[in-house]
Amino acid sequence: MLLNFDKLGMWKWVLTGFSVLVALFLLVPILFIVALSFGSSQWLIFPPPGWTLRWYQELLADPRWLESALTSAKIAIIVTLCSVILGLLASFGLTRGRFAGRETLRALFLTPMIMPVVVLAVALYAFFLKIGLNGTLLGFVIAHLILALPFSIISIGNALDSFDRSIEDAAILCGAHPLEAKLRVTLPGIRHGLFAAAIFSFLVSWDEVVVAIFMASPTLQTLPVKIWATLRQDLTPVIAAASTLLVVFTVVLMIVAALLRKGFKS
Amino acid sequence: MTVPFLQIRGIRKEYGAVTAVDDVTLNVEKGEFLTFLGPSGSGKSTTLYILAGFENPTSGDILLEGKTLLQTPSHKRNIGMVFQRYTLFPHLSVGENIAFPLRVRRLPKAEIDEKVRRMLKLVRLEGYEDRMPAKMSGGQQQRVALARALAYDPPVLLMDEPLSALDKKLREEIQYEIRRIHQETSVTILYVTHDQEEALRLSDRIAVFSRGVIDQTGTGPELYANPATRFVAQFIGDSDFLKGVVAATSGGLADIHLGDETVVTGVPVHGKATAGGNAAVMLRPERINLSRTAGTDRAGIAATVNDITFLGNNTHVATVTSANEALSVRLPFGDTAINGLTTGEKVWITWDPATTHAFCD
Amino acid sequence: MSVMTSTTSFAPELRQRRRPSGFAYIAPALLLIALFFIVPIASLLLRSVLEPTPGLSNYAELFGSWTYVRIFANTFLVSALVTLLSVIIGFPVAWLLAIIPNRWGSVLFAIILLSMWTNLLARTYAWMVLLQRTGVINKTLINLGLIDQPLVMVNNLTGVTIGMTYIMLPFIILPLRGVIKDIEPGILQAAALCGATKWQCLWGVLIPLALPGIASGALMVFVMSLGYFVTPALLGGTANMMVAEMIAQFVQSLVNWGMGGAAALVLLVVTLLLYAIQLRLFGVGRIGQEGQ
Repeated sequence: MLLNFDKLGMWKWVLTGFSVLVALFLLVPILFIVALSFGSSQWLIFPPPGWTLRWYQELLADPRWLESALTSAKIAIIVTLCSVILGLLASFGLTRGRFAGRETLRALFLTPMIMPVVVLAVALYAFFLKIGLNGTLLGFVIAHLILALPFSIISIGNALDSFDRSIEDAAILCGAHPLEAKLRVTLPGIRHGLFAAAIFSFLVSWDEVVVAIFMASPTLQTLPVKIWATLRQDLTPVIAAASTLLVVFTVVLMIVAALLRKGFKS
Repeated sequence: MTVPFLQIRGIRKEYGAVTAVDDVTLNVEKGEFLTFLGPSGSGKSTTLYILAGFENPTSGDILLEGKTLLQTPSHKRNIGMVFQRYTLFPHLSVGENIAFPLRVRRLPKAEIDEKVRRMLKLVRLEGYEDRMPAKMSGGQQQRVALARALAYDPPVLLMDEPLSALDKKLREEIQYEIRRIHQETSVTILYVTHDQEEALRLSDRIAVFSRGVIDQTGTGPELYANPATRFVAQFIGDSDFLKGVVAATSGGLADIHLGDETVVTGVPVHGKATAGGNAAVMLRPERINLSRTAGTDRAGIAATVNDITFLGNNTHVATVTSANEALSVRLPFGDTAINGLTTGEKVWITWDPATTHAFCD
Repeated sequence: MSVMTSTTSFAPELRQRRRPSGFAYIAPALLLIALFFIVPIASLLLRSVLEPTPGLSNYAELFGSWTYVRIFANTFLVSALVTLLSVIIGFPVAWLLAIIPNRWGSVLFAIILLSMWTNLLARTYAWMVLLQRTGVINKTLINLGLIDQPLVMVNNLTGVTIGMTYIMLPFIILPLRGVIKDIEPGILQAAALCGATKWQCLWGVLIPLALPGIASGALMVFVMSLGYFVTPALLGGTANMMVAEMIAQFVQSLVNWGMGGAAALVLLVVTLLLYAIQLRLFGVGRIGQEGQ
């Protein structure tokens, strides 16, 4: 009864009403910054006295914004590639391996996901100071890879778990070399896991703030660091413009993910 | 002297302290349909996986046309296999699935197309070429899997309980298909199942597996008429066992005491039979008779009728012997012994000693 | 076939290990984790007992000073508050999301995903603007005549709690939705047939059945909140700093690696302990499976 929406009676409306409020709570701040980014008020007055594209012009006029966005994209793409490849290999080992301590190793690989990022950030910062990787692209990639890898291992591991190994065995008996069988049969069979791993890894790196704050140098900073630094000075509407572009990007990514998932199902 | 087509020689497989397959030896003729029959965990699937190359035997050898297979990795063994679960490549169409082994072998496209067409015809799925596996029934998927496994003309086809996921009616339909395809292609088939009816229906010969060893190999009628072990007797056909004591033995036959006074003479005996030792006498419900009066010419035992069930072409009579052992009798329709039979009635059950078997531990 | 003739060239070890152990597959990831995860963290923790002088002086200071103890207490308080609010607000939404049959369910789901995947700084920025003295919320309340003076909602506990609850909500709604979806509806029908009222069904059947999911989700939100850095740093004030920001300050402003390492160790131990409890009680099953 309580699990049948149509038989909830009055409760149906209470529950729906409450959920609408929560949905508004979740949605309104996002719509709010989108609106403000087009508002003419420097002081973020709402509703805005007029509409303007000035903040977008300012955003694009400052080369540091674009530069940091490109840096972020570059790092995120490299991280995505490495994370999917390493995650794929590790998942094969963890789900199919026959060595001792597999469960312990799995827990170890997933630890960066659950531990406070600030601890990793401080530790890596100290370590990179010593070996000279602070403020370098490689340093960013390594740090983000550590954070992204658990998401890859979970996504690909789940896909691999539900992929029947007999299918790969069948390909091998058909005459395919074990490697060929993996490439031509197993990989297409777990492609939804690979795509999920790629999207998660990209987002983890693209949105990562904490490690980046510690590692950024004046010459190399990611987009979140640029936003952070600007935020600490004042609440300029330029950030609203940047945030709006990030929201649009998220929506596009979500649509792509949904379309891909639909494609895999058919 | 000709070399047997496929020789399985003393195969052993140990997993740590557990012996999954224990000294299995078997010769298979070219074109034969041989079934490994046994309960789960009896080593039949492990033997099949050793043949496929997914497992290595701890010791022993496998020879195909006189040459060892063990050094050859799975993908070069050129063996066909249909699995228990559906193993069609989910991202490839039916036609592409069947073409897969041929593409791997880098055959010319025209040849592949021709072969795919012939295979689809063989499994009667013409027109399904572009269908995706997910859109097909389980039976259709297994037929495609069969076509894929036969596409490269393997000398041996392995089938690991390919019908266990299908319902009974579909299973019988595809059993018939498999039989037909075996006749049309004359491929050598090694088939694993735990279903005795399926084994009897399909096979030229059956190897009965029990706890990692082959108890007996033979045709269906051989196994039914002359089971070598109590396990085979139980697994093939219905049977009841009566506890007895060996009175005397000579030349594979034994005289056996059943209960206090009955002595059955000239029963074929298996195992280590010694006078005074225990024996189990196997009786098949359809090969024993029921009468109201004691006879003298045949072996017999007194029993009480417990239950009578009419099953159409036969009637099943459940009885209990004086030693409180269950004994079933199956009487064909029209048997006059049935007339007026009531529950609780004392009856006399008789049989020809030569048709029964005694098993000693 | 040529297949048979080429067999003799295979090395004998191929016979022994046709299926390799698979350890080689994890070697690259393991190398990465060992070198850039275990080593840095171990050396940071080492510094907490080695700098400035070997011994436990850093820990003595950390637990001996009222300032630091208050930061830890504040962190627990904020985390507990955020967890409580997330559960109370999240449960009805998860419940509705689990049973709603029409398209509006997908809309609600999309909104939750959007808020979860929108850049963290963008979301925090939105709350900074919304909650500021001259922000929309204050202006609306004044215009409605509910208050005379603007409320102070940033740089204090209120701001942090609102901002963190906003961020944590999806993390409790999504797993909880899965848990409620897995409950067999027949059980609640049976309860209703037995004569239970809706309230009795809710408190006596639905909530107890969802309790493992609620507890697991709550524990996860609590653990995440304990170590959160960005939102408290931007929406909270200096008066109610949280541990993550304190660690950052030790390292960045004070360049005191010993104290930074000590605080990091405390945070790490608490987090891993709670994580271990989570695994022990609820298994690894649901963690990380939600989201997309």
